[in-house]
Amino acid sequence: MDRLSEQFGEIYDQNIDKIYRFVYLKVNSQEIAEDITSRVFMKGWEAFQMKSSDIKNPSAFLYQIARNSVVDHYRDKDRTKTVSVDSGLEIADSGIDAHEKAVLSADVMTVKEAITKLKKEHQDIIIWHYLDDMPITDIAKLLGKPAGTIRVAMHRGLKALKEIIQEA
Amino acid sequence: MTSKTEKQLIEQIIALKEIKPRKEWAVLLKSQILIEKRVEANVINQPEAKSVGILDILSSIFFQRKLAYSFAVVLLMILGAFGFAQNTVPGDLLFPVKKIAEQSQAALTGHTGIKQNVVFLNNRINDLVQVTREGKDNNVSSAINEIKANATELVKDLKDNPTSDSQTLKDIAVGLKTLATVSGTDLTNSPGIEDLYQTVVQQQIGELEKVTLTDGQKVTLEEIKNLYDQEKYTDALEEILLINQQ
Repeated sequence: MDRLSEQFGEIYDQNIDKIYRFVYLKVNSQEIAEDITSRVFMKGWEAFQMKSSDIKNPSAFLYQIARNSVVDHYRDKDRTKTVSVDSGLEIADSGIDAHEKAVLSADVMTVKEAITKLKKEHQDIIIWHYLDDMPITDIAKLLGKPAGTIRVAMHRGLKALKEIIQEA
Repeated sequence: MTSKTEKQLIEQIIALKEIKPRKEWAVLLKSQILIEKRVEANVINQPEAKSVGILDILSSIFFQRKLAYSFAVVLLMILGAFGFAQNTVPGDLLFPVKKIAEQSQAALTGHTGIKQNVVFLNNRINDLVQVTREGKDNNVSSAINEIKANATELVKDLKDNPTSDSQTLKDIAVGLKTLATVSGTDLTNSPGIEDLYQTVVQQQIGELEKVTLTDGQKVTLEEIKNLYDQEKYTDALEEILLINQQ
């Protein structure tokens, strides 16, 4: 294995859990999450081979590919966010596996399903900040918005999440 | 659903960190990306590799085979010549090959200097013994010339680097005694050989004077000196060989 492969191998190890979780919480299906995550890392590897020196923040780079890949997925399947919300229960059920049932409590499962129903931007901010421990300033850089805007969006996202859970 | 506080909600969001990909899938994907995709990239980046035709490969193989066969034949010829040359004597066509083989062997084993020249001299004396035994009259003069040349070389070495190694001097003395037995006085009195006798006897006297001798050996040493002064080097060498056995 050459130096480039070793470097990307480390990037893969550091990000595979995060990217998979990020995608999974958006598509709520293990099979689809695995498929999209595979494509994210393949695209990431291709880009890394051609311009590794240009990629200053590999995590942010992979998240960007993941976001676009999720968008492409819904566009290709003609599944917009609205449709996903409409058929939320059906999609959520398909994503529950035995492992998840064992490690996640019923309340947490409810939160997970509720996240899939959030607006895309709220999803991204909540996942990055609370699950990937990404500081607000980093999220602001990633989305190209002021930090204050991100804080406001996060509070709105949490409020929307609470409302979805209460409605369930 | 009961109402959650924001803190409870955040704790439950954080609990989603337990969501992880299947371990075997993650490992498989990594290997697929880093190994298989790397191979693909290499193939794409090296289109010229695909353009190599079967004729190119065949001609390459045949060319390499030709080269290999030629090399093998040359190698066999060289090895055969070296093997056959081991039985040659001075004056034979392949004798220079034998000398080259001896010198190469000495160089490879790191044996150089006076000791190796003594070995060469003794080899040439043995050649003369072989020539005499097999009745190869035509090779006698060549064998003697080889001995003289080696003796001259050895004298030069001994004068430049006087040796105190008694074994080396003894080897020379034994070789010269063999030579005297085979060739008689004519050869031992020839310039190159006589110089060698003189040098060896002179150095042996020097060595004997440095060591503690018995009364009998002291008497023999005096006789050796007298013989040396009378330029009777072969007789002196005989005495030196005897004194070492006393």
